[in-house]
Amino acid sequence: MDKVIKASIVVGLLLGVAVPGAALADGFKNCTKVAKTAWKPASEAEAAARTAGYEVRKSKIEGSCYEVYGVKEGKLFELFYSPEDLSLKHTKAK
Amino acid sequence: MSAQATAESGGPTSPPSAGGEPATVAVWDLPLRVTHWGLAVSVPLAWLTANVFDTVHEIAGYTALGLVVVRVAWGFLGPRRARFAAFLPRAATVLRYLWRLTRGHTGRYLGHNPAGAAMAVALLLLTAVSCVSGWMQITVRWFGVDWVEQLHTWSSHAVLVLVVVHVLGVLMMSALQRENLVGAMITGRKRAVAPRSLSDRSQPLRVPRASGSQPDRYRS
Repeated sequence: MDKVIKASIVVGLLLGVAVPGAALADGFKNCTKVAKTAWKPASEAEAAARTAGYEVRKSKIEGSCYEVYGVKEGKLFELFYSPEDLSLKHTKAK
Repeated sequence: MSAQATAESGGPTSPPSAGGEPATVAVWDLPLRVTHWGLAVSVPLAWLTANVFDTVHEIAGYTALGLVVVRVAWGFLGPRRARFAAFLPRAATVLRYLWRLTRGHTGRYLGHNPAGAAMAVALLLLTAVSCVSGWMQITVRWFGVDWVEQLHTWSSHAVLVLVVVHVLGVLMMSALQRENLVGAMITGRKRAVAPRSLSDRSQPLRVPRASGSQPDRYRS
């Protein structure tokens, strides 16, 4: 039992150190500092993605970004638009 | 006769050693243990890396799915303690067992007790749902489909809740029965003879003091 408890503590500490340090390594969240009340509608971000040739599956708010799920030529993308001016901040291929 | 007896008692029994170590019996076979510990690593790893490390998350998820497939196949092909047909309890049995557990009766089981069996099946099913729905999310057909995303999120949280209950249940049972069940899942062996001090008072041990006969002290 002692060994098990020790092992759990070691694993717990490793995870406790590793995970927060790595948090958001793959997350893109910061697109604008403008207050939400001044944001352009999400539908305009979707329209921007369509104009860029993506088939839009859905969109959602991620941090201060509009995250649009788009498919282009059979490939999957997450597009991050700034709600401030609908500029494309980041493209992530899935 | 001897082969049957061995299978019925759960595996080859080692005699008590000269040093007074209790006799042990092989319960959990190697593929069962490998899939168990593989899942014990890959599932929490996948949970922790969700939305953080996509690559690690996906590798952990595929690994978990592969392990679930192997374990399920082993549940049909493997030996008695691994086979679903041998340990799947009825729902009523599980509920009755849990009720008795709240009153301190643990019963004695060499393999899965009814609650442990239900937990194993629930974990395998939910992990499969979580893995498959996660995989679906990065296919062109299901990418960005909301219910798939919701299913993946909630089945994954449910798996983690079950994992916590599973670990607590194992630790509680280890304490109640004074047997290191975590160690048993590592070595595959459990104590052949139940200790006298079990908390299950409803079923007194039928241990003959000086007789050479071997009563079945475990339910299987």
